[in-house]
Amino acid sequence: MPVYTNKVRYLNLASGLSLAGLGLYDNSVLLFNAGVLGAGYALMRMAGFGRRVVYSAKPVEGPHCEPCTGDDDLPAIARAADATDVGQLIDEMLSQDRYALLLRAQISGNLTAVQRQRARAALERSMCLAPEGEVSLLPVELIVGDDPDPRLVEKRSRTIWVEGYFLDRHLVTNRDYYRFVAAGGYEQMPLWEQEAWPAIMDLVDQSGRPGPRFWRAGRYERGEDHLPVVGVSWYEAAAYARWVGKRLPTDAEWVKTSTWPVAGAGGAATQRKFPWGDAPDRQKANLWGSGFGGLIEVDELPEGSSVNGVRQMIGNVWEWTSDDMHAADDPSRAAGGPRQLHFKSLRGGAFDTYFDSHATSQFQSGDWPLARKHNIGFRCAVGLCDVNVPARPATEVEVPEEVCV
Amino acid sequence: MTKLVNIPLESYRLAQYVVQCPCYVCGEGNTFDAEQCRHCSAPMALVHQANSQDVHPRMLAAVGAQGVGKTVFLGMLLDMLSRHSHDMHALVRGAFSLNLQQTTVAALARCEFPPQTSSDPNRWNWVHAQVQSPRERKPIELVMPDVAGEALAHELDHPTSYLAIHSLLSKSSGALVLIDAVKLQRGLPEQDYFTTKLLSYLHELDSDLGPWSRRPLALVFTKADECERCFEDPAGFARRHAPRLWEQCRTRFPRYSFFASGVAGTCAYRYSPGYGHRHVPLRIEPRGIVEPFAWLLEQARN
Repeated sequence: MPVYTNKVRYLNLASGLSLAGLGLYDNSVLLFNAGVLGAGYALMRMAGFGRRVVYSAKPVEGPHCEPCTGDDDLPAIARAADATDVGQLIDEMLSQDRYALLLRAQISGNLTAVQRQRARAALERSMCLAPEGEVSLLPVELIVGDDPDPRLVEKRSRTIWVEGYFLDRHLVTNRDYYRFVAAGGYEQMPLWEQEAWPAIMDLVDQSGRPGPRFWRAGRYERGEDHLPVVGVSWYEAAAYARWVGKRLPTDAEWVKTSTWPVAGAGGAATQRKFPWGDAPDRQKANLWGSGFGGLIEVDELPEGSSVNGVRQMIGNVWEWTSDDMHAADDPSRAAGGPRQLHFKSLRGGAFDTYFDSHATSQFQSGDWPLARKHNIGFRCAVGLCDVNVPARPATEVEVPEEVCV
Repeated sequence: MTKLVNIPLESYRLAQYVVQCPCYVCGEGNTFDAEQCRHCSAPMALVHQANSQDVHPRMLAAVGAQGVGKTVFLGMLLDMLSRHSHDMHALVRGAFSLNLQQTTVAALARCEFPPQTSSDPNRWNWVHAQVQSPRERKPIELVMPDVAGEALAHELDHPTSYLAIHSLLSKSSGALVLIDAVKLQRGLPEQDYFTTKLLSYLHELDSDLGPWSRRPLALVFTKADECERCFEDPAGFARRHAPRLWEQCRTRFPRYSFFASGVAGTCAYRYSPGYGHRHVPLRIEPRGIVEPFAWLLEQARN
């Protein structure tokens, strides 16, 4: 039986479709409802960050269902929540850069005009829009091979239609990720892929607390606020993305932003080899031999940005995408011959990537989804259709200065 | 019909063949125009360079079992040093010295591993390089061959069957001993036994440089990118996974240190029509390549 403090809140949203219940209790840990995650799940009870998770097996069914806490007074207390508390909740979410969650179509209708504008301003400040269109993805053999036959390229490349989307302008930083850790993200099971649940207890830092592999005592090193977070598995990246109301970009989305296809006269699109053009340039990306020798802050090297302003797509850290990279396993590991495995796709190269040919817009690498390496990070995306943004161009959005966060 | 012609008498040239030219590695005699030593197959260019430039390069051995990654390690080391991105840098001497680097780097850039080194000494790649260390005023001349693991294994079982290896190890100022970390982590003892055998062999060798127990050994766990914990504590990894090797080092070789290295970020098997499943690197991100070499050079200097 949990002991609730007087900070129990129940936000009943008029749409009642997706974000059915937001409960703030005890150490202001935010609970999600099954609706926003697209699946029924167990409602968790948490006594605070760093404590063990206890959760009920009973799923939450809708905005008016009784939370499975065993506390009969909860709905009554929740209904008593006033508008000020909702405003505080929204302020807190905006301060955590969870604007994409607030801009979900099912939720944004319940925000005030000012709140909506603040969320939109945050989105437009932090993410870059990429229009819908086609993009061609090449297999690795043709990227690193010697002068592939153009007919072979045409035959083996995959052309994919991509709907409009927003991609994070910067890689997710240590500071961004700390908010997730501090909010108890590692204990909110609905954020995690079910297949990763048995592994979550192993996703700890150097001191055994939940967090990226190279952190200590649940924190990153002083002065590393703006470095990209590394030492996170694919599952951790995906869970963070869900927490902020986004997702990992697909391979096609990532490549489209980096190559920025432009349709030619004959219908064939021209794609860039690097975000800045067609020639490698180690002064525009943090790669082996660029002179940095390690991670750099996520807003550096603006000259290497993509056409729409996404920074460091090439270099600094490899980026997880949501797609699989298919590779056959080592046959010596599995009796009876090689078996298919699902490496998750990595894009962009890192500070220690040795060859220019491995740090192009098209090059694809991969790793185990549970790999937590020193040079793998991520950025998030959100579909244009998933957020409520005005049709007019971003620059025309007027936000009163006094409400900017 | 007979035609008279004047033929210059050049028999004096034959005199050059009378003087034997000793191989730099094995010391055996060869003719002055030999390309490779007829005894050990080392390139005779080493001798000519030493004589013409009045330099006498030191030898360093990079040894390990078959498939441990000697070619990749040496090729990457030379390429990294030649790109002047470290305090230490290298300039190779002679075109033959570039073959190893070229073969390795070209293959890795294609996301492939270079072909296995042949056990035929005629086909080994030798490197003569001038290495400039930040602590040295003068560059150090070094000779490092890429010997086949299969040949090394044969030499360990039948000493002096490969004269090149015997001579190289006798004259080396130190050795990079490469060990497959992945096999050790999987609990396969063959790497432990092979390296222990190698160290026993070295311990019995003697030469002008004195016993091997006075020479430095850099024990490098290769492929450590596939077992990340090895990077965090290579000595601890050795203690846990290679106890025989650990004990041998501790008792017989006072100047040793353990290192971890990796070249490929991740490896996988890729199916290619006509080739079947091939073990390939999915990206190249060298780690721990220069450090053991720098340590060895520093130790060998003292």
